[in-house]
Amino acid sequence: MRTGPGFRIVIWLGVAAVLLWSLGPIYWTLASAITPSADFAARPIHFFPQNFTLNHFERLLGINVDRIGGVEVWKQFRVALINSIVTALASTVACVAMSAFGGYAFTRLRFPGRRWMFFAVVATLAIPGYAVLIPLYRLMIGLHMVDTVTGITLIYVSAFLPLSLWLMRNVFESLPLSLEEAAQLDGASRLGIFFRIVLPLVGPGLTAAAILTFLGAWGQYVVPLIFSPTATKPLTVLIPEFATKNFIDYGLITASGSIAIVIPALVVIFLNRYLVSGLLAGSVK
Amino acid sequence: MTTIAVAGGQRKRRAAGNGDAALALLLVAPILVTMVALVFFPLAQTVWDSLHRINPMQPGSPFIGLANYVNMLSDADLGTAWINTFIYVAIAVAAETFFGVLVAALLNHVVIGRKWLLAAVVLPWALPGVVNAVIWMWIYQPGAGLLNGILTAFGLPFENHVWFNDRTSAIVAVAIVHIWRMMPLTVVIVLAAMQSIPTHLYEAAHIDGATRLQMFFRITLPLIRGAIAIAMTNGTVAAFNLFDEAWVLAGASLDTRPMLVQIYLETFQNLHFSYGMALSLVVTVVALLVSLVYVIRIHHDTRFD
Repeated sequence: MRTGPGFRIVIWLGVAAVLLWSLGPIYWTLASAITPSADFAARPIHFFPQNFTLNHFERLLGINVDRIGGVEVWKQFRVALINSIVTALASTVACVAMSAFGGYAFTRLRFPGRRWMFFAVVATLAIPGYAVLIPLYRLMIGLHMVDTVTGITLIYVSAFLPLSLWLMRNVFESLPLSLEEAAQLDGASRLGIFFRIVLPLVGPGLTAAAILTFLGAWGQYVVPLIFSPTATKPLTVLIPEFATKNFIDYGLITASGSIAIVIPALVVIFLNRYLVSGLLAGSVK
Repeated sequence: MTTIAVAGGQRKRRAAGNGDAALALLLVAPILVTMVALVFFPLAQTVWDSLHRINPMQPGSPFIGLANYVNMLSDADLGTAWINTFIYVAIAVAAETFFGVLVAALLNHVVIGRKWLLAAVVLPWALPGVVNAVIWMWIYQPGAGLLNGILTAFGLPFENHVWFNDRTSAIVAVAIVHIWRMMPLTVVIVLAAMQSIPTHLYEAAHIDGATRLQMFFRITLPLIRGAIAIAMTNGTVAAFNLFDEAWVLAGASLDTRPMLVQIYLETFQNLHFSYGMALSLVVTVVALLVSLVYVIRIHHDTRFD
């Protein structure tokens, strides 16, 4: 279709506005993270950093020692970063493995109750986490699992399993049966078929499920706020703590925020296709 | 637990000559155990406990019937939290739908670099909600913040303006952070629907001399209604679940307090466990009912097509 110059200008203005809206706040965070704290006092403010410093990152990574309330910042930060990575990875692996096996069973194997079992699990997508949070808290206290990696991982798995199971079943259903039937005629076992024929074909689906689970766990706030108060505290709980009542250290906040942005940003840049396909499949439940 | 036992009992009758059922139960068991232990059992307990008085500061947990639910009617702070939540839902869903459709239409027209533009649009959704909130806390900061900086650069009197001193501007400020995070989802859903519209419809309309606006309203919009309803449902549920943004930006402030913060305060600060559970059930049901409205409307409308 023919596009006039006026129409093209409107499109370019729109693109500029969308980029400013989406990336502007992120630019501002990255720019502030490399600005010396003293420059924050400048009025009018500078839209581009005038001086460059790595001081905030140095304080986070332990090259420069800084204390908040007597505790060294970088020790807290290192623990929180490790906690975030460990719990997000553990729940992603568990969730994807369980939903790959389970999704295959729900699609390809006949067993009594499979319809309503699948329905019951997926229906929990409609139940927000907070409706089960309080009994879960008492349960976790009873099991001595509050503030443990196992406890928080179990909760994440139960929260993200329905979505990833739903995604995986859609993926398995879209595969042609003929391949599996041919393998079955050749005498391959069910699990042999699953590992050698089906699994290699569902890579994109597994990636989508893994991305959604990982980002979900990486960004969780309410759950760790309650279940990971100290030893297993993740980045999401630590970062707002840099804003104390008396003093808000915006250098630390923007620098630690920048680090927390890295993984999601890499996912969006390199794996956006899978992320979008997962979002679409997940939204049409 | 009972699920597995029952299914196992039935299995025996059919097991002859078919190992599938046994294998299936083995594969499905981890899911069922996790979901029963960590979702279904706690959910049932939420319902049951909401009929009792459970407070670690008081001995015993007597049955009190619907007292927790009745008490909600005379809880003044709760009323404010409900109003705030409905304001968030209204602002967020309206803005996400309007601008989301606009951005999706824009992306649909961009050919070169659409992939990268979409990545930029999706990025805010992928970030942790807390990180979004601190990013905007810094933007809203009265002295060194970007927002006042921009407004001042345009000569407006916003030096050291405190956005969280006024209820209206505070609520809008929190809502904007939420919209920044959730709008990408609307864009993704609506864009996918737009791309599935066959191009020959537009070509035919073009030959008939239709303008772009006419094409948008007569062809595009009717064909993406379903997608918009889905996006609105997602947006509604997300806005009812608003917590991170309000909690990080304004803490317990009643001006901006949404229902989830109210539940959090009642439960983990006032230790009214069973009251918190009753509240969380009511919010769940209300969010589902409100989303159901769109689904029914769309279903109703499309039947006549």
